[in-house]
Amino acid sequence: MEERTRSDEATNGNPAEELVEEWRNAAYNCFSSGHKFCREVCPVMQVTRDERHTPTAFHANVVAMDKGHLTIEDVAEDYVHCTMCGACELRCPNTLFTGDFYRFRQRTVDVVKAMRALAVKEGVHQENWKRWAELTDRWGNEPVLGWNIETSAAKVRAWATGLDIPTGGETVLFADCEAAFYRPSVPRAVALILQGAGIEFGLMSQQWCCGGPMWETGYVDVAHKMAEHNILDWRKTGTKKVICLDPHDYLTIIENYPPLDENFDEFEIVLGVDLVAELIRDGKLELTTPIERTVTYHDPCRLNKRLGKWKSPREILRAIPGLTFVDVDHVTQWSYCSGAGANLAAEKPELTAEISRRRVAQAAALDGVNTLVSACPWSERPLTEQGKEQGIEVFDIFELVAEAAGFEV
Amino acid sequence: MAVAALPDTLIDELVAICGEAHVFTGRSALFNRARVPSPFPAHRWEEFIPQAVVLPTSAEQISEVVKLANRERVPVVPRAGATGLTDGAVPLRHGILVDVKLMNKILEIDVEDRTVTVQPGINMLKLSQELQPLGFIYPDNPASYPCSLVGGRIGTSGWSLIGGRYGHTRDLVISFEIVLPTGEIIRVGDGGGRKVRKSSSGYQLKHLFMGHQGTLGIVTEATLELVKRPEAEFSAFFSYPSYMDAWKATGDFARCGAATLAGVVLFDEWKVAYLRRDDEAYIPQPDSVKAVIAVAMYGNDDEVRASAKRILRIGKGSGGSYLGDEISQGDWASRHDRYATPQHGRTRDGQVALMSWHCEDASILYSQLPAVREKWHAIAADLRERFDMFDDWGMFAYTNGAFKSWGDYLTEIDIGIWEMKWDDESWAAWVDAKREIARIAIEHGGSISACHGSCREGEVDLVPLELGGGFDVMKKIKRTLDPNNIMNPGKYLLDQAYEEGEE
Repeated sequence: MEERTRSDEATNGNPAEELVEEWRNAAYNCFSSGHKFCREVCPVMQVTRDERHTPTAFHANVVAMDKGHLTIEDVAEDYVHCTMCGACELRCPNTLFTGDFYRFRQRTVDVVKAMRALAVKEGVHQENWKRWAELTDRWGNEPVLGWNIETSAAKVRAWATGLDIPTGGETVLFADCEAAFYRPSVPRAVALILQGAGIEFGLMSQQWCCGGPMWETGYVDVAHKMAEHNILDWRKTGTKKVICLDPHDYLTIIENYPPLDENFDEFEIVLGVDLVAELIRDGKLELTTPIERTVTYHDPCRLNKRLGKWKSPREILRAIPGLTFVDVDHVTQWSYCSGAGANLAAEKPELTAEISRRRVAQAAALDGVNTLVSACPWSERPLTEQGKEQGIEVFDIFELVAEAAGFEV
Repeated sequence: MAVAALPDTLIDELVAICGEAHVFTGRSALFNRARVPSPFPAHRWEEFIPQAVVLPTSAEQISEVVKLANRERVPVVPRAGATGLTDGAVPLRHGILVDVKLMNKILEIDVEDRTVTVQPGINMLKLSQELQPLGFIYPDNPASYPCSLVGGRIGTSGWSLIGGRYGHTRDLVISFEIVLPTGEIIRVGDGGGRKVRKSSSGYQLKHLFMGHQGTLGIVTEATLELVKRPEAEFSAFFSYPSYMDAWKATGDFARCGAATLAGVVLFDEWKVAYLRRDDEAYIPQPDSVKAVIAVAMYGNDDEVRASAKRILRIGKGSGGSYLGDEISQGDWASRHDRYATPQHGRTRDGQVALMSWHCEDASILYSQLPAVREKWHAIAADLRERFDMFDDWGMFAYTNGAFKSWGDYLTEIDIGIWEMKWDDESWAAWVDAKREIARIAIEHGGSISACHGSCREGEVDLVPLELGGGFDVMKKIKRTLDPNNIMNPGKYLLDQAYEEGEE
């Protein structure tokens, strides 16, 4: 609290100055390093080759703002060019080599978030993100089906029709906006798998967006509203455990929810792929239907780069009978991305498409591979679109598991 | 001091040449193409920004931009990775910045004649990732291997960490296409023939356009060596009780005659102390360790095995202690990541301060290393004494010659600089110190720079001293090829070529 007061005095409550105050040292740590090793792993930079879109620039701008050279108006649009995949943080020598010693990590994703939030606070909006946030605020879920197709909380469990899933209970399945409305085969597959393995679970009485894309694009107030609603909803139905089928939801909930609620540790947040890998390992889910495909796996950025989770999906794929799995090392995949993250597609659809095209081409170049499997519904839309062009089918890992377990999704 | 904008008509012409999506005049586009990783006076940022940025996609576009710049007498500054350490890509006179990063395609892989032809905006790590499945590498391997680009390597005549075995940039680039300062597109090599490695035909123009820091044109395509991926790598680190013991041993290693030898690196006690600030390197080594030598070899398995035995024998015979496989392999493998760590900066009372890395990179004769080392450390100590924002991060000496490792050494003193503290006084002291470091290199028969180039403030003052009559020839060449002084003006004191009295 004292910190806050001092900082407020130094900055007179000016949001731009507050940001500089908070990030100055981190920015200089990048500015002083100058390695730029982040650049060639950045999925955006690989396409645009524009120095404004580099993690180096994202930090240097803070230094330039500190020195009075640039303002948020000058740079806000540059910060759109980031999927928040986290590759730059992993490739940063400041993090890789001395990070643990100095307890320091170059947190580029958080810098981008802070800049986007500052832009919104200062009234510098990106038109589609603004509209996205407004509709999310109005409908409770993101406008993933277009501006004119309402994605209301009343429809958020339409995917579960006929599956006889109760409301609430100790464990609930949290179905992501994109999955629930755009790719309902994913939540259906997960529900069938859980039911097949004898897991008791329900759905929220009224699920709203996790809030992640609102935090990511700077609409922090909407994000808080979403999160607070969801936490309240869980409490109302006595929920203790939340299963997330989508890495974005999982990361948002474990990273952004706890600071909002001092009793948040009463909830256990479970990642879908970890749970399913465990069910297979423990013999609670038997995969007996062979799937004759040659697949490679796309490491979703939130899992692989942001959370260091890459083992469970591989364990699952190796357990599917009939499947030929051509693996690409998860470190090699630091420079891979679908381009879908941080709602880039809403503002720069052509950039998302090109990042996806390249990702699918990397899969298509592998010997005999005809299928790309992901574990992130957000990635699957652009990857599927590009897959059609390149003769690569795209599946969610749960879709394959459900099929291998003999369920009709 | 605000920089005047270029006329709208000129911007319209740039758009007509490069396309609207590839011409930028916004402030962030300009500010983010002003600096390179070398120490930068952020308080004077505006003095170094371009007035417009273009991202061309072809040699023809670059040629048109250069012709336009000549007509309008506007400076042109080429920029590739902007990872260089001598400010080659910094626009000292503003103007049009030509950023070649979008030109990053592999144009041809010729397995038969062993060449790969690329555009200048490709990175070496990315290139080697494409080549490895075919059994090849492109072994131009600087500390900036994961981020620097081929065009910049040619512009600086770069230096490779494994140059003793595979050669440096000048040895690995067979020929290249360049847009001259007046807009003509030519190809230069060792004579004619895009893929010919050795020719006696005509002047050796490849070398003229290698290391010009963007003052003689913009490279638009390069044909490079396609090198067989080595079967084996061997690296060994040895410790020594004194610098002089290690210096003698360095000479023994470098002169061992093994064709597999890629590099011998001597770290002095200041550098060992710097690395001890890290929790992962050298801390287990006792205080008696005052210097370390790293030796690296590449080649066919049978060759490397045999020469590795020789290296271990020399290490033992010279009084060195082998530091074990973990450090030998791990530290060599991490060589690109370890070259600077801001948090290792320390104030005089030992507090952590975020410091930039400045690496002075002279070529020093083996015989002169001990004397130069003492003088350079004294300069660093004086700086630190006067300003509590400089830190001595120690010295390296790397074998410097391609294929012949025994003569001179890329000799670095790494100075940490707390850049948040810059003011005009400390900047001036720093520039003076750089000039003195360069002067000592020349006085001992060396060269100001082995790898970065020597056109930064301070050191550049001594380029005429180092080159003598050669500098007069440089000025004549510059004036002939760039009559309007539009190509990266302000570098290498070449503005002098246009002063009254110069013919």
